[in-house]
Amino acid sequence: MIPDLSQVGTGETKEWAPVAEAPHIMLDHVTKTYGSVMGLNDVSIAIKGGVTGILGQNGAGKSTLFKLIVGRLRPSSGNVHLFGTNPFKNPAPYSRIGYVSESEHLYDWMTGLDFVATLARLYGYTRDEAKAKALHVLDFVGLADVVNKEIGKYSKGMRQRVKIAHALVNDPDLIILDEPLAGCDPLARTTIMNVVRELGAMGRTVLVSSHILSEIERITEQIMILHNGRLLALGNLHAIRELLDQHPHRILLRTDDPRGLGTAFLPHKDVYGVRFPNNDELVVETNNLSSVHQSLPSICHESGIRVTAIENPDDNLESLLGYLIEGRS
Amino acid sequence: MEDDPTDFIMEPKVPLDQIPEEIPQVESKPQTFESQVEEAVKAQTIAATEPPKPMYVSAPAAVAGAAVAQIQKVQTQAAQAFRPLTNTVWSKLDRKATAVTEFTLRQYRTKNSTWVVLGIGVVFVAMILMFYGEAMSTGFDSVDNDGDSFDWDGDGYPTGQERIHGTNPWDENSHPDPELVAPDPPEKWIDEDGIDWDGDYSNPNQGYDDDGDCTGEGWVDSESFEIPYDQDTNGDGINCNVRYSMNSTTKTIYKINADPNVDEDPDDEEFLKESLHRAFVLGFGKIGFAFLIGIFVPLFLATGLIRDEMDRGTLHYIMGKPIARAEILAYRLLGYIALVWPYATVLILFTAIVTGFLAPSDSIFRFHDMSAWLGILLASWLMMLAYGTIFCTLGVISPKYGLWIAIGFGVWEFAMAMISLGAPNFPLTWLSISHWGIEIINCTSVLAYPDQSYLIEIANMNNDWGSGAALAGFYSPPSIVAGNPFASLLISIFVLILFTVFALFIGQSSLKRKELN
Repeated sequence: MIPDLSQVGTGETKEWAPVAEAPHIMLDHVTKTYGSVMGLNDVSIAIKGGVTGILGQNGAGKSTLFKLIVGRLRPSSGNVHLFGTNPFKNPAPYSRIGYVSESEHLYDWMTGLDFVATLARLYGYTRDEAKAKALHVLDFVGLADVVNKEIGKYSKGMRQRVKIAHALVNDPDLIILDEPLAGCDPLARTTIMNVVRELGAMGRTVLVSSHILSEIERITEQIMILHNGRLLALGNLHAIRELLDQHPHRILLRTDDPRGLGTAFLPHKDVYGVRFPNNDELVVETNNLSSVHQSLPSICHESGIRVTAIENPDDNLESLLGYLIEGRS
Repeated sequence: MEDDPTDFIMEPKVPLDQIPEEIPQVESKPQTFESQVEEAVKAQTIAATEPPKPMYVSAPAAVAGAAVAQIQKVQTQAAQAFRPLTNTVWSKLDRKATAVTEFTLRQYRTKNSTWVVLGIGVVFVAMILMFYGEAMSTGFDSVDNDGDSFDWDGDGYPTGQERIHGTNPWDENSHPDPELVAPDPPEKWIDEDGIDWDGDYSNPNQGYDDDGDCTGEGWVDSESFEIPYDQDTNGDGINCNVRYSMNSTTKTIYKINADPNVDEDPDDEEFLKESLHRAFVLGFGKIGFAFLIGIFVPLFLATGLIRDEMDRGTLHYIMGKPIARAEILAYRLLGYIALVWPYATVLILFTAIVTGFLAPSDSIFRFHDMSAWLGILLASWLMMLAYGTIFCTLGVISPKYGLWIAIGFGVWEFAMAMISLGAPNFPLTWLSISHWGIEIINCTSVLAYPDQSYLIEIANMNNDWGSGAALAGFYSPPSIVAGNPFASLLISIFVLILFTVFALFIGQSSLKRKELN
């Protein structure tokens, strides 16, 4: 769970001390503006432990939030605390974090091993230590067989993974991944998701951003939704969904006999309507998505009608945002 | 406390089971001072915990035991004080410095622009050297400055020879007896009266009339009308000499006054080659090496040191590490220096060696100019450092317009360099880097060419040579502390370092405050 700022105190600690209970990240009414453009609007959160997915459309403020946390940007108002210190002024807590920026650029002329080992030396490791650690993390992200290949020859997914590798080389307590799945092929996507889940299982705090709900859903249930710079919702994804249960949900089924199947669905207690947009499509309208999903296989099976596809048109970020914004206004 | 980047340096935290096999395993424990002390202390602890055996200890043994314990205690403290250097804060910082420096150097290697810029510098130097070699290998025609090699009356005897023998050089019937005296070849009367200067600035009375056409020395007719009527035109009371007027503070000659026909026909070729060589060393050193290479190389190699990384977003990789932003800037500059200082050294050394072989000299290699070349090397190092820091800082302050500001700054520097060549005391030039670099070369060239002001005045006296401008154009005596090249040199170095530190400070504080998107 994400504790609220009120639950963990005001965090006035000036000097950094490795207090186990202190939240890793603490934002205290942080606002960030770029000229007249609002980047982040009065966000207060405290995060410690677990994998947290930051959801938001492009321009919602995900990268701004991350850059504030890692000290690239200075808040226009409010305070950012990273391990109890101001990350903009003090690079010391960087030894405990790993940050993967959204930047697509890498040093294409370096090999993967070079890249990670050179950056590892900035933690004060010797050449040999850095090389050993680099090999270890490159293996961890599944690049063991291409360590001596130039990054310029890497595929998109490999590039994302080498970026993740450089952030893990110091065995950080806090890992921040800005859109790590962007542009990756399915295989790389799965590898990266596994890496993130594993990091979470190892007890690290992980922040991972995305604009695709299903991606985040496969990684974690603990999410935070940003919209236009505002913190729209935070907590368990399912809890957020349940909050939205009064909203109608739709399930789209592709079948040869939509009317037959529609008749089979109607007796279900949570289904309040069926529609037939096409000759081969059936839309089931419900107030309780999970309940219908639970009985969906048996209904289909019992009716004996072949179903070729099941889609949840509402199960994306846009509709979730739509519901949330509607719910607020 | 908050800004101290070192107090978070932590030991590597990879759990033991995750350490890969690639980690080099230490075979045996090295026998260091520390480990020996450790073992000694361990042995002592074991001895202390064992049940004491009843024994009779003599007084001297007890004293010895206490002394050993004391020594071990001191040794333990010493071992703690001198931890292995590899674990100190300094060496960890040092590892970061080498990592960033090495990275910067390798990055330069992969960029085409680096090779283009450095290559243009090499071609430029090679071309200038070719012109120089051409000029040094072609001889100058020696001029008969006093005209006494010419046979005015056509009797076959040059004027100079006729004067010695007391015959009339203007009358073709008056000449020495051809059976007794054979006519001299005209070349004998060219360059026959060289400049006699003993190098002593404080001696105003110098010069010797080698061919005797002032004193009439060795002439048959000592009353000849060819001997000047007034043998002391410079009015110093000494006949047939050369008077040197010197500025006692700067120890430079500002006027040379010769009596008639004294030192009037020196070796023009030697003089012109020497003048040309010096003008080349000083001119190419000041404008070519110190200024042009010193400003263009940093303009293209240093401006983007941080700016390009910010633009591309790759600065995030370095900046995400526990390294202060100010350190990043300093270490990037260190990488730049590690590239351009050896580059300048190689170019200047090469030029010094080539010109050393081609220059006029009594031996195969001319060592005369070495202190001038060292000054040029020092000036180019310091100017590359100062310009590099300034350009890098401009790139940080204004990523968008930094290059244009830098080019504007370069124009200012060029103007100040030109003014410095002619008027080194003009105070406005003190605000430029180029002035102080040129001043360094001025200071060291005084050591290489102590007789420079004398040569300039000689050239001015014999104004038909036209070499005075070349000699004077690129030369000025040290002007910061007049007459004291060493003090001037130290001040110039200090000022250049001051400029650098100032620019570095501005760049660092600008980068510290910079928000990176």
